[in-house]
Amino acid sequence: MLEFRRVHKAYATPQGPLRVLAGVDLRLAAGESLALMGESGSGKSTLLHLAAGLDLPDRGEVRLDGRAISSLAEPQRARLRRERLGLVFQQFHLVPSLDVLDNLRLQARLAGRESPGWTARLVARLGLAGRERHYPEQLSGGQQQRLAIGRALAPRPALLLADEPTGNLDETTAGEVLALLLELVREAGSALLVATHSPRVAAPLDRRLRLSHGRLGEAPP
Amino acid sequence: MRRWRRLTAVLVAGWLATGLLLVGCEREPAGEPRAGFAGLGADAGGFTPVTPETSLRFPEDHGPHPGSRLEWWYLTANLRDAEGAPLGIQWTLFRRALRPPTAPAAGTWAADQLWMAHMAVSRGADHRVAERFARGAGPGDAAEARQAGVTTAPFRAWLDDWRLESRGEAGTGDALDRLVVSAEAGRGEAAFGYRLTLDAEGPLVRHGEGGFSQKSADGQGSMYVSQPFYRVAGEVILDGERLPVSGRAWLDREWSSQLLGPGQTGWDWFSLHLADGHKLMAFRLRGGGEAGGDYLSGTWITADGETQALDGEALSLTPLATRSVAGRELPVRWRLTLPAQGLDLEVSARHPDRWMATSVPYWEGAVTARDRHDGAVRGEGYLEMTGY
Amino acid sequence: MSPLGVALATLLSHYRRHPGQLAMLLLGLWVAGALWSGVQAINASARDSYARAEALFDADFDRLIPGDGRPLDRRDFVTLRRAGLPVSPILEGEVETTSGERLTLIGIDPLTLPGDSALASPGAEGGLAAFLVPPWRTRLAPETLAALGLARRAAPGATPALAGGQRLPPLAPTPALPPATLVMDIAAAAELLERGEGLSRLVVPADALTTAPPGYRLVRAEQRLAPGELTASFHLSLTAMALLALIVGLFIVQAALGLALEQRLGLLRTLRALGVPGRSLVGLLAGELVLLGLAGALAGIVSGVGLAGALLPDVAATLSSLYGAEVGNSLRLPWHYWLGGLGVVLGGLLLAGSGVLWRAARLPVLGLGQAQAWRTGFQRQLRWQTLAGAASALTALGLWAWLAARPPGEGLVVAFGLVGALLLAGALWLPPLLAAALAGLGRRMRHRPLVQWALADLQLQLPRLALAMMALLIALSANLGVGSMVGGFRLTFLDWLDQRLVADLYLRPPPARFDEIDAWLAERPEVAERLATAGGETSLLAIGDAETPRQPVALFGITPGDAVRPGWPLQATLAGREAAWRELAGGAAFVNEQLAIARGIAPGDRLSLAAPGGVERLRVVAVYPDYGNPRGEVLLATPQLRRRFQAPPGSLGIVLADGAAATPLASALRTRFALDAAALRDQRQVKRLATGIFERTFAITRALNALTLGVAALALLATLLAQARERRRRLAPLWALGVPRGRLVRVQLAQLGAAALATGLLALPLGLAVSACLVDTINVAAFGWRLPLHVFPGEMLLTLATALGAALLAAALPSLALWRTPPRALLAEEAP
Repeated sequence: MLEFRRVHKAYATPQGPLRVLAGVDLRLAAGESLALMGESGSGKSTLLHLAAGLDLPDRGEVRLDGRAISSLAEPQRARLRRERLGLVFQQFHLVPSLDVLDNLRLQARLAGRESPGWTARLVARLGLAGRERHYPEQLSGGQQQRLAIGRALAPRPALLLADEPTGNLDETTAGEVLALLLELVREAGSALLVATHSPRVAAPLDRRLRLSHGRLGEAPP
Repeated sequence: MRRWRRLTAVLVAGWLATGLLLVGCEREPAGEPRAGFAGLGADAGGFTPVTPETSLRFPEDHGPHPGSRLEWWYLTANLRDAEGAPLGIQWTLFRRALRPPTAPAAGTWAADQLWMAHMAVSRGADHRVAERFARGAGPGDAAEARQAGVTTAPFRAWLDDWRLESRGEAGTGDALDRLVVSAEAGRGEAAFGYRLTLDAEGPLVRHGEGGFSQKSADGQGSMYVSQPFYRVAGEVILDGERLPVSGRAWLDREWSSQLLGPGQTGWDWFSLHLADGHKLMAFRLRGGGEAGGDYLSGTWITADGETQALDGEALSLTPLATRSVAGRELPVRWRLTLPAQGLDLEVSARHPDRWMATSVPYWEGAVTARDRHDGAVRGEGYLEMTGY
Repeated sequence: MSPLGVALATLLSHYRRHPGQLAMLLLGLWVAGALWSGVQAINASARDSYARAEALFDADFDRLIPGDGRPLDRRDFVTLRRAGLPVSPILEGEVETTSGERLTLIGIDPLTLPGDSALASPGAEGGLAAFLVPPWRTRLAPETLAALGLARRAAPGATPALAGGQRLPPLAPTPALPPATLVMDIAAAAELLERGEGLSRLVVPADALTTAPPGYRLVRAEQRLAPGELTASFHLSLTAMALLALIVGLFIVQAALGLALEQRLGLLRTLRALGVPGRSLVGLLAGELVLLGLAGALAGIVSGVGLAGALLPDVAATLSSLYGAEVGNSLRLPWHYWLGGLGVVLGGLLLAGSGVLWRAARLPVLGLGQAQAWRTGFQRQLRWQTLAGAASALTALGLWAWLAARPPGEGLVVAFGLVGALLLAGALWLPPLLAAALAGLGRRMRHRPLVQWALADLQLQLPRLALAMMALLIALSANLGVGSMVGGFRLTFLDWLDQRLVADLYLRPPPARFDEIDAWLAERPEVAERLATAGGETSLLAIGDAETPRQPVALFGITPGDAVRPGWPLQATLAGREAAWRELAGGAAFVNEQLAIARGIAPGDRLSLAAPGGVERLRVVAVYPDYGNPRGEVLLATPQLRRRFQAPPGSLGIVLADGAAATPLASALRTRFALDAAALRDQRQVKRLATGIFERTFAITRALNALTLGVAALALLATLLAQARERRRRLAPLWALGVPRGRLVRVQLAQLGAAALATGLLALPLGLAVSACLVDTINVAAFGWRLPLHVFPGEMLLTLATALGAALLAAALPSLALWRTPPRALLAEEAP
C-alpha cells in the first residue's frame, strides 16, 4: 500500500546541498509493520514526512494506495492524510486547548468517521478512563504519548506513521506504550511504519530496515 | 409646493360644495383628512342660507357675501385674433369662508376667508393654466390692504396682480358695465396672460326665481346673476406673442352656503352666445333630481335681457360622445334641445384638452354650437364639467 | 460536525483556555467601534438636523429686505403681491417654555409659500384647514416635545403653556421639522409673538426675480451660508478624532491577533499534519476574524450610540453657540449609519488581521522548531518600520511644504493628513528607536548582569510590546497636541474677552427706545462713557478694483472711545494703533481675522460693500481677532454704520465713572424703562456666558481625547496581561539562579516604566508638532482664526506621568501575580 521508488531528497543549506535520501526503495503491504532504523540525522523523519505527503521527493515516486503522492494537489494530500493516515510525533503535538477526549476524537472527526464504540474502547485501552476532561498539560509524558497514539488510531487509519513514538519516555513507560501501540494497530488493522533508533522498539515489528547514507538496507533483527 | 397644493386642493375643494365633496372626491389623494369638511354640508352653522326670498341689491351684491360659505366671480371669453383664429380665456376668483363671520376676530393675518384665483389662456391644442391663493381677514380690515378681495364702489376684484375691475366713472349704469381684466403668469418665454376691456351691451341677468337658482329637487340653491353681454377687446399674451383680440365674454356671479344636495356628484354647465343675439345658460346637475335623476335648469335670454327660466321639461341635454381627458372619460359633444324655441343644437368642444389641473380639477373650455339639421354654426360659448 | 466545523471549533478552543486574549480582542474592537460609531452618530444626527433646517421653508428661497433697514410688515407683503411679486411672509421669533428653554417660532403663510416645504406633511389631523384657522396647530419635531415637558403619546393636541402664560396652539408632531423649532400659521405666530402686522422677512422662489423692486434689496439664497457648510470643519475634526480612536483600537486588535496566532502556530501545524488543507485554515482564521469582528463591532456600535447620546448635548450646545446651528438633543440615525459603522469596524479588523492571515497562509507544514526565527523576523520588521517611518516623515514634510505655499485657511483635509503622517512617522520609529536604545544600553551595562539581562529581556519583549507602545505614543501625542491647543486657546480667548468687555453693564434696549435710553444715560453723572453698538448685514462686492463673488458679511459698529481703544486687540494695522483708531472714527473700517484670511484682505485695501444708498467704499486700516465668530465681519464706528448703512442700533455698553456702583443704575434703568432681565446684563454675567460657551465647545474634544488615552493604556495592560504567564516562565530561571522575587518584580516594573518613559519623551516633541499643526493650520482652516502657540510644561509633565502611570498600572497586575506565585510553580509551568 505504501511504495517508495528511487526516492531522492536533498535540503539546501548554507554549506551546500545536503543529500538525505539517495534512491530509496520501499514497499509496505497492508497490515504489515515495519521499523525504520538509523542514527539521528540519517533521514528517518524525512522519509516519514515524504510518506505522509508533508513533503515531496526531489526525484522518484512515493505511492500510497497505488497513487503517486507528488501528482496530488495540496488539498488532496491533506485529504489523504486526514482519511488514510495516522501520525504520531515524538513531541506529541497535542492540542493544548482541547481536553483529552476532544484531542482523541480530533482526527476521527476531521476525517468524518468517528466511532463512539472505538473511541470508548481506545480511552479504556489507553488507560485514560476518568481523565477525559483533563487537559494535555495535566497528563504525564506517557499518558500524553498514549493520547497521541489514540488520536492517530481513532479514525482506524490504513497506515500509521510514528516518529520515535517512545523517544520522550523512560524505558518502562516506553515498553508499555509500544506494546499498546502494536496491539491497537493490530486491532485497527492498520499498517505501521515506525521510525526509531532503538532496537528494542524495532524488535517486535514484522520487518526492520536501516537507513544510512541515504540508502535503505536490511537491519539485523 | 406639491404637498401644499394637495392640502390646499382638499381645502378649497369646498367651492364645489359639500355634497360634491362628500360623494365625488374619490379622486382626491387617499388619506387626506376629510373631517374638516364633512361637517360643512350638514351644518350651515353661522352661515346665512340663500333662499328664493333673498333679495338682490346692486352694487352691494357685486361684492363679497361673507355670510355665505362660497362665492365666485367667473369670467369666460370667446375671442378671435386678427386672423380670426379662435382663442379662449378664463379669469375666476373664488371665495370660501373658513369661519363664519360670527366667529371672534383672529387678527389681521386671520385666514377667515380663503381666496383662490384661476386663469387660463387656450388656443388650439395649447391650454395654459395658473392658480393662486390668498387669505383674507374678516370684515373691518381696510379692503385695499388685502392680498385678495372684492370692493363694489368702484368695483374691484383681485388676487395679487390678477384683477377684474371697473374702468368706468361711477354712476353710469351698472357697476359691472365697463370692466378691465388683466392677469399674467409664467416667466420669460413661458409667460401667458391677457389685458382685456369688457363693455356690456345688455343688462344684468338674474337666473331662476329673481336670482335664486335652485340646484336640486329638495331646494338647495344659490344666488346666481350673470352679465352675458360683454364685447371684448384687448391683448392676449401667449408663447411670447402679444395678440390683439376681440370677442364676447360672459361673467357669472354666484354665492351660496350650501350649493349642492348630498346626492349630487357634479355638473355640466353651458353658456352660449347665439348668433341671433340670444344667450343661453343651461346646466345639468348629476343626481339630486326627481327620483334620483339628473337636475336640469337653464335661462333663455333675449338680446335685450328678457329672461325665461327653463326646467327639465323645456330643456334637454344629452351627451353624444366622450373623450379620454386626463385619465377620465368626459362628454365633449352634446345635444342640446329647447323644443319651445325650436332649438336642436350639437354643442362640441373646440379642443378636448381643456382640463384645469388646478387644486380642484375640472374641465373648462370653449364650445361651438351647430344646428343639428344643417350643421350651420349657430353660436359659441363655454362648457364647464365638474366631478368627473 | 463537518471537518471544517471541527477544525474551527479546535481553533476557537484556544480562546477558552486564554479568555484574556479573547477579551483583549473584543475590547479593542469594542472600543474602536464605540468611539468611531459614537462620533459618526453625532455627525449623522447633526447632519439630519441641518438637512431638516435647510429643508425648512425658506432656506432655498431668495429674500427681499427693505433697502433702508426699516422693519417689514404686512403692507410690504400685500403691496408686493399686488404688484405681482411671488413673495411669501415669514414671521420668526423666540418663545420661552416654562422650563426656560428658548424655542424658535416660525409663522408661515402656506397659501403663498413657494416650494415643497418640509412642513407639508399632511398627517396632522385637520390638515390645512385646522392649520389656518383658530385654534390653529403647532407643528414641531417630536424631540422638541421634551422642552415643553410633554411625552410623545400625550403630545398630539396638547396646548402647553409658555413662560409668559400664553398657550401654544394644539401640537401636531411633525418629524421632518428641525429641532427646537415651532411652526404655525402666521396669524397664530403674530398673536403669540405680539407682532401685530410685523414681519421678519419676505421670501421669493430662488431666481424668480432678476432685480429687486424699488426700495428693496434682494438677498440670493446662495449668498447665505447653510449650517451644513459652516459646521463642516467642526464635523471633520470630530471625524479625525474618531479615526484616531479607531486606529488605537485596531492597534489593540492587531496585538491580540498576533499573540493569538503566535500561540497557535503549533496547533496550526498539527492541524495541517492531521489533514486540514492550508487554504481551509486561512479561511477558518478569516471566519474567526469575522465572527469576533461582528461580536465586537455590534457591541461597539451599540455602546457608540450610548456614548453619542451622552456627548450630543455638549455638541449641540457647541454648534448652537458657535455656529447658530440647531441640533437636536436626541439621536436620529439613518439605516446606513448602522451598516457604515459595521463596515468600517470590520474593514479595520480585516486590515489589522491581514498580516496574521498572510503569515498563516505562508506557514510551512514542517519547520516545527524555529524558536529563534522571530529574531531575524523582528530585525527585518524594524528595518521596514524605519523605512516606512522615514517615508511617513517625508510625506509629512511634503504636506507641510504644500500647506506653507497655500494661502492661510485652506487645506483642512491636507492638514489632517499632515497630523496623521506625523503621528504615523513617530509611531513607526518608536520600536526601532527603543530597540537601538536597548542594544546600546545593553553594551554599556555588561558589568551589571541583572541590568543587562533586563535590557536583553525587554528587547525580547519588544516585538509584542511594540504595538501597544505605538498606540500609547499616538494617544499621548494627540492628547498633548490637543491639550496644548485647547489650553492655548483658552488663555488667548480669556485675554481677548477681558480686552473686549470693557463696559460694566450691557444693555440691549428695544431698537425703538434706543435713543431715548441713550439720552437718559447721557444725563446720569455715574455714567462715564456710553458704548453704543450697531449691527447689520451686507454683501462684499469688491476688494480694491477686483470684483469678488458676492459674499454676505456682518457689519458691526463700536464706539471707539477711551474705554475701548487701549485694550481692543489689533493684529495688523496700516499705520499703528493710534492712527487706526483715528481713522476708524473718521469712517475707515477694521475687518476681523476670519474675513481677512478668507478673502486675503490686508490693511490698506479698499472694500466695496452693498449699502442702501448704493455702494459704500471703505478703507481697511486694521485687522482684529474675533474668536468664536464663524462669520466674516466688518467693523465701523457706530455713528458711521448707522448713517451709511442705515443699521438699527444694537446694544449699549455702559462704562461707569470711578466709584459708581452698577446695581443702583441697573435697577434704575429697569424701573424707568421696564426692561426685562435679558435686556440688561452686567459684565460678569456676559463673561460667564462666554466662558461657558467656550468650555462646552471643547468639552467634546477633551472627552474624546481622554477616552483615546484610556484606550491606549488598556491596550498596554491587555498586552502585558496576555503574556504574563510566559513572562513568569522567563523569570523562573533567574529565580532559580538566586535572584529574589522582590527584585524580579522591581526589575519588571523598571523595564516597563523605562519603556513607557521613553515613549512619553518621544511623545513630547511629537505632541508639540501636532499642536503647532492644529493652531497654525487646522484652526485657521476650520474656524478662521490663528492662535499663538503656547507650551505648557505642566501639560507635558502630565503626559509623561500619564505614560508612566499607564505602564506601571499595566505592569502592576502581572507583577502582583508574580509576587504571589510560589517559586517552584514558576519552574513547573510548562510550555503550552
